[in-house]
Amino acid sequence: MRTKAPPDQLEKFGRFAGPATLILSSLADGSKHGWALTKDIEEFAGIRLAPGTLYEALNRLEGLGLIEGMPSEDRRRPYRLTSAGAVALADHLAAQRRIVNVGLRRLRTSGGTA
Amino acid sequence: MSSPTGRAERLVRWYPAAWRMRYAEEFVELLAADIAERPVSWRRTIDIARNGLAARLGRGGLVHGLEPGRRAQASMASLASASSVFLIVGLAMWSQLAIGWQWSRPATQGTAVAVVLMTYLVLAFGLWALLAAAPYAWACARRLLRGEAKGILFPLFLLGLAAAGMVIGARHFATGWPGTGGHPWVHQHLVPGSLAAPAWASTLSITSYWAHPGALLGFPATEVAWMAASPAALVCFIVAAAQLIRRVELSPRTLRFELAVARLGCVAMIGFVVAPCLWILGGGAGPRNLFHIGAIDLVDLGVMGAMLIVACSSSRQVRAAVAHLCD
Repeated sequence: MRTKAPPDQLEKFGRFAGPATLILSSLADGSKHGWALTKDIEEFAGIRLAPGTLYEALNRLEGLGLIEGMPSEDRRRPYRLTSAGAVALADHLAAQRRIVNVGLRRLRTSGGTA
Repeated sequence: MSSPTGRAERLVRWYPAAWRMRYAEEFVELLAADIAERPVSWRRTIDIARNGLAARLGRGGLVHGLEPGRRAQASMASLASASSVFLIVGLAMWSQLAIGWQWSRPATQGTAVAVVLMTYLVLAFGLWALLAAAPYAWACARRLLRGEAKGILFPLFLLGLAAAGMVIGARHFATGWPGTGGHPWVHQHLVPGSLAAPAWASTLSITSYWAHPGALLGFPATEVAWMAASPAALVCFIVAAAQLIRRVELSPRTLRFELAVARLGCVAMIGFVVAPCLWILGGGAGPRNLFHIGAIDLVDLGVMGAMLIVACSSSRQVRAAVAHLCD
């Protein structure tokens, strides 16, 4: 059964909302440790998350139960998405998509000029 | 240049111990890989400095960082510490102004309003402190009666010892308060000397005399010893109180009460910052230089402003934690 997450779960992250979205999106296709997350996000988003920002976002996501740490592998701990995390990511991306759709539609209507 | 792992281990030391316990090993691995790929990066250093500081502030309950229950306790402890420092510095300033008032009424409206406002706010702070401390005193008493004293016994002992030291010392040195013996025709009774004298004695250490060792040599040796020792007692009192607050769990309902009290306290603190501004901006040295504005007063005002910011920030964190606990 799909559990309902608060719609603004990631909005509460303040300046970490962006990094949190990128991390959850990266973990959506499987567990990854810190360095693998950095490289994956750099590849699909063109953004290199600085180590301190990455771990502060991981700390907050873990605190809210949106991700969980797995047993450590050679001093590297992989993280995976929880079901609550998947719901929060889906809700957040759906909200973002609504904004993107409105923006694109209005741009098309106005012919791309203000 | 040292190895990436060595550099990473040094950078991680900036984070608080509790954070390192949880993340240090994996974070060092990530940092070492990052350093190996990009040996020099100011962005990375600033990022670690910024987030390490945020982790430290989070442990103190000043920003997000702990689970709601512990966050409420940590934020309350920070709030209590900041309020205590504010009150100590404020009492030092007020008791000095009270000395002037005992000898002569201020010449300007700004100074008069400032002293009267501060006097009422000192009385309000006393009541506020009692209201804030009552639930913690009750919770400590219940734990002691249940035989669950572990974790609170030492802070209670330290708190009692520091309070006893301050009361005995303040009572002894209050007899030397320079505010006694004012001119019989002036309004010396507007400011309660019985309150200002111990406040002055408790905060004797907050003085510009430290910058003038020659003048200090003319003081009685016991008074100088008290000026040097009393800050230690005040620090012990604040540390012990903060430890107790961190270790005593209150129900969400009681925390809501504490939050309401904290908000009142923040409002009173704002008033207490505004009052000296009236004196500094609209006052002046006054008759016989009794209300002289010195560098120490500006430093005091700066400290009070900083403590007010910390208290308000802590109060916001308590509110967020209480809201989460009550959900």
